[in-house]
Parts: sequence; C-alpha cells; structure tokens
Amino acid sequence: MKPLRIALTKGRLEKTTVELLEKIGYNCDAVKNKGRKLILPVGDNDFEVVLAKAADVITYVEHGVCDLGVVGKDTILENGTSFYELLDLNFGKCRFALATKKGVDFYSGYNTKTIATKYPNVTRAFFDDKNMDVRIIKIEGSVELAPLVGLADGIVDIVETGSTLKANGLEIKEWVTDISARLIANTASLKLRKKEIEELQKKLEAVTQ
Amino acid sequence: MNKYLKITPEGTKDFLFAECSAMDDICGKIESVFKTGGFKRVITPGIEFYDVFSLPCSGISQEDMFKLSDNKGRLLVVRPDSTLPIARMVSSRLKNSVLPVRLYYKQAVYRNNPTLTGRRNEFMQMGVELLGVKGLRADLEILSTAVKSVSAIASDFRIELGHAEVFDALSDELDIDDAFKEKLRVSIESKNYSALNNLLDKLEPCRAVSAIRSLPSLFGGEEIFGKAAEICRGTKAMSALDYLHTIYNNFAPLNLGDKLIIDLGLVQRNDYYTGFVFAGYINGIGDAVITGGRYDDLLGEFGAPMGAAGFAIDTDAVTMLRLSDENVSYSDNPEVLVFAEDGHEIEAISLVSKLNAQGIKAQFSVLPTLEETKSFAASRKIAEVRTVG
Repeated sequence: MKPLRIALTKGRLEKTTVELLEKIGYNCDAVKNKGRKLILPVGDNDFEVVLAKAADVITYVEHGVCDLGVVGKDTILENGTSFYELLDLNFGKCRFALATKKGVDFYSGYNTKTIATKYPNVTRAFFDDKNMDVRIIKIEGSVELAPLVGLADGIVDIVETGSTLKANGLEIKEWVTDISARLIANTASLKLRKKEIEELQKKLEAVTQ
Repeated sequence: MNKYLKITPEGTKDFLFAECSAMDDICGKIESVFKTGGFKRVITPGIEFYDVFSLPCSGISQEDMFKLSDNKGRLLVVRPDSTLPIARMVSSRLKNSVLPVRLYYKQAVYRNNPTLTGRRNEFMQMGVELLGVKGLRADLEILSTAVKSVSAIASDFRIELGHAEVFDALSDELDIDDAFKEKLRVSIESKNYSALNNLLDKLEPCRAVSAIRSLPSLFGGEEIFGKAAEICRGTKAMSALDYLHTIYNNFAPLNLGDKLIIDLGLVQRNDYYTGFVFAGYINGIGDAVITGGRYDDLLGEFGAPMGAAGFAIDTDAVTMLRLSDENVSYSDNPEVLVFAEDGHEIEAISLVSKLNAQGIKAQFSVLPTLEETKSFAASRKIAEVRTVG
C-alpha cells in the first residue's frame, strides 16, 4: 500500500509540524534538508510529506491526492469546503479581528460601512451574522493601509501581537474568531485508511493537547 | 466574435472513445445489477420547475443550481438531483399503482460549483429508488443492491452505515433552535471536533450533550455498537442504534468484514433522510461514490406520503478511475479493413457483415484508393487489409 501522504503548509506551520512529527518518533531529515524537492519521505517511508501553500493544502486534501493536511484555521474558514477537521494542533495561534482607526465609533450612523480584507469570505460571514450589509473590498497586501488612506472604514485581518495595528494608529474593535493549526483529512481516506490515520491522530493529540 | 466557439463551459467535458467505452462498461455492470434486482428504468426531464428543489429538506442550495425561465417567466432549474424529480413523478403519475415500485435511473445531474475548483458541473449518476414500503426488508434490499453494485465495479471499497435518527433524537433532547442544530450537524459531518466542542460547551451538560460530543468518533466495526450503547443509554437514540445493529447483523452471512463499517457521525446534507443512511467509498476516489438511505417523509411533501429508500452512484468518478488503470484497455480498433474495387462496394460491405458475424472486427474502407486505405490501416495499427473485386 502507498504511504499516507500529508500536505504541509509551507513556512512556519511546516517547521512546527516537523518538530511534532519528530517528537512522536518519525525521522524528518529528508524534510529538513529538502532542497528543491516537493515530495519528501518521512520516517521509514511511513508517510510522504508534500509542501504547499496554505490554500493549496485544502485543495489537495479535498481532491484526495493527499490523505491528510496541516493548515491554519484562517485558510479553512476562507476556503474550506468538504473534508474532515480532525484535530486542533494548538500551535500557530492568532486571531481574526475587526480593527478601525483609533477612536472611530464603527457601528454608529446609517451609512454602509466599507471593509478592506484579505479574507472576504470570513468578513462576509462575520457581518452576515450581525445582519449587517457591508461593502467588502479585497486587498492583497498590507490591509492596514486601507483605512489610513480612506479606502475603508475598517479592516478584518489576522492579529498576532497587534503591534502593526498600533504603529499605524489602528485599534481592535472586536475579535472575530480564534485561529490555530488544524489536522485535516480527506473524507474517503479516513474511511479507507482508518487505522493508520487514527494512529497518527492519537499520537499527535498526545503531544499537542 | 464567437469567443467561446471552441471550448466547453467550466465543469463539463467531451467524452471520447475509450472514455465512452469505460463509461458504458461501468454503467452496464451497474445496470445489470439493477435490472436483475427487478428495478425498472425511468427518465425524468432535464429541466424542472424550481419548486421541486426549493423544499427546505432538499439540501441543494439555490446558488448550486443552474436556473433559467420559461416563456411565462416561471423559474426552471437544470436537474441538480434525480431523487426529488422521482418523488414528484411517483407522487403524481404512480400514485395509484401497486406498491412497492422499484425504479432506477441513469442520467446526468448538473451543479453550479464554484469556478476553478476542478469539480464537475455535469456528471452521470445511476441510482435506484424503492418506493411505497417501509421497514427492515426494504432497507436490506436497498443496502444489498448497493453492495452488489459497488462489488460489480470495484474490489477495494467500504460501505459505511449510519442512522439519521441518532443525531435527530439526541439534538431533540436539547433546548436549541434549528440554526444551532444545523451548526452542530455541520461540525459532526466534517468531524470538526474543536468546533463541535465549542458549540456544546455553550449548553448545559447532560447525557445528550456528551453523546453528541462523541458522535464523530463513533465509527468503525461492530465494537461501535457497544461503545455507542454506553454513551446513548437512556436517550431516544437507542432505538435507532438497535435498528442499525439489526441491519449490521443481517449482513453477517455476506462476510463483508471490514468493508462494512458503522459511522454514527454520518449525517447527510440532504435533510430528507429519516432512517438508515449509507455512503460508499472506493480506493482511489477522494469522495463518496455512493450515497443513499431512507427518506420516508419526502413523498409527503409532494402530497403522497409513503415509505421510500434509495441510493445514487457517481459513475463518472468510477469511469475516470477505471481509465487511469494501466491494466485496463478499451481498444475498439478493427482487425480487418475491407477495401472494394470500383463497383464492388456492396459486395465488400456484405463481406464486412459476414466477418462481423464470425466475431471478427471488420470495417468497410470509405477511402477512395487502396493506397490510402493501406496507409490509414498502418497509422491506425489495423493488422489486415482485404480487397474485394
């Protein structure tokens, strides 16, 4: 049988995941010295690790070409559709927040508010819950700029320490939701390779909870 | 300018040669299981009134449907599912027939999926519906037809069983509104333990809350019944559990082993399921290939209440899997090409028929000269060219 294939989000999440895998006893040297390779063996060919951008991790898992994935909750909320979310890995923690210029009363007045964000779906869902119509503008780079130059009344973005907000005269109005890394699984894989996946899930659970 | 003259819309494709042969092969195998089981084919229209699919229980959201309007301005949809049209048809045209009826269908359904996700917007589905009867025997018949169908097309598969009432009975014991219930259902369906825990932490702890908490992890073999009974004892979910166990035990003589599994977290998006539900998975396909179950309340929505159960198979997914198998080839190349000298054409065509009757794949050459026929045969790797006249 083919080894289980796990898609990891490149960058910080990848590093922490590799540390976790080593902690539960898998040799990850190939991943650490990957060079330009994109598919790498882990342990004694126990799994294959695939490195991908966050949103692509979801795509690969959803289509079943990867059995498992490690991806941030932010990406799941923005792009998620149908897969199993097995485990909160409790790292890569941060939060989505609504922020505005300091001292602005965001909810006052009748005018429709404009929100700049990299996460239009998260923003849409947040304001839908409040039954509030907002104009959403998708921004690719530093979202903090939008309220400063007058494009938007507020932003919805990931906040870790809040120092970028502070440095630009913005403040948090409301927390939207907590974010952390999650272990996800393809629906068919979990049924067809239950034992292997559950075993790995249990081991990861033991070192993250 | 006809900008889109030479491409097909997103999510659709042309099927060529081997693809069609593979599809015919897969569909043929399933069809013979259906026909042997006494199911009769029906075809429903490709377009239907929107009303048929706008029932709250349909589980198909309006943005997923292709919509158009007729010449009176009424809203139509391109068939996104076959069960609802069959329910419509049975409740009107077969209302007074002798029940139960066994129907099967083989037709494409259409979904308007988000772009650039690689999903198919048009796909062939085959399925059966057994209408006008409730109870264990009907459920066993449907489930065994599903097992036979999937066995006919794949060897490495899993069928998982669940029951709609397990979750319904447990959530009814809680003081929650429909929106909250739906959130719970979604988090169980996606086995999203952390979201489920967050939701349940908002409720007063009780037996039902802790039972719901463990639903997504309750999947596996027969041992699940023991675990589930402990967790659900004293709740209304017990009768559904016992029923599921009865079905499971009934299948013991078929020796399916770990091919038949229990998943109490199997809560289908289609809200019309009321009893046992199941899904089938085939190694190599990343999504459920079969989905089905019992939907006793659906026909009531169409004014003809009766028991009903059925399932659908995504045959396109199986076709694609078959085509990716290097050991399978669907060559339909002729073995003999028959060329006729001028004036001997009909003679040659008769020879082709004669060869065909002997089981030799022969074809009449429509090219004007022997030379062209020979070079065509060479490029198509047709072994023999015969000349008549």
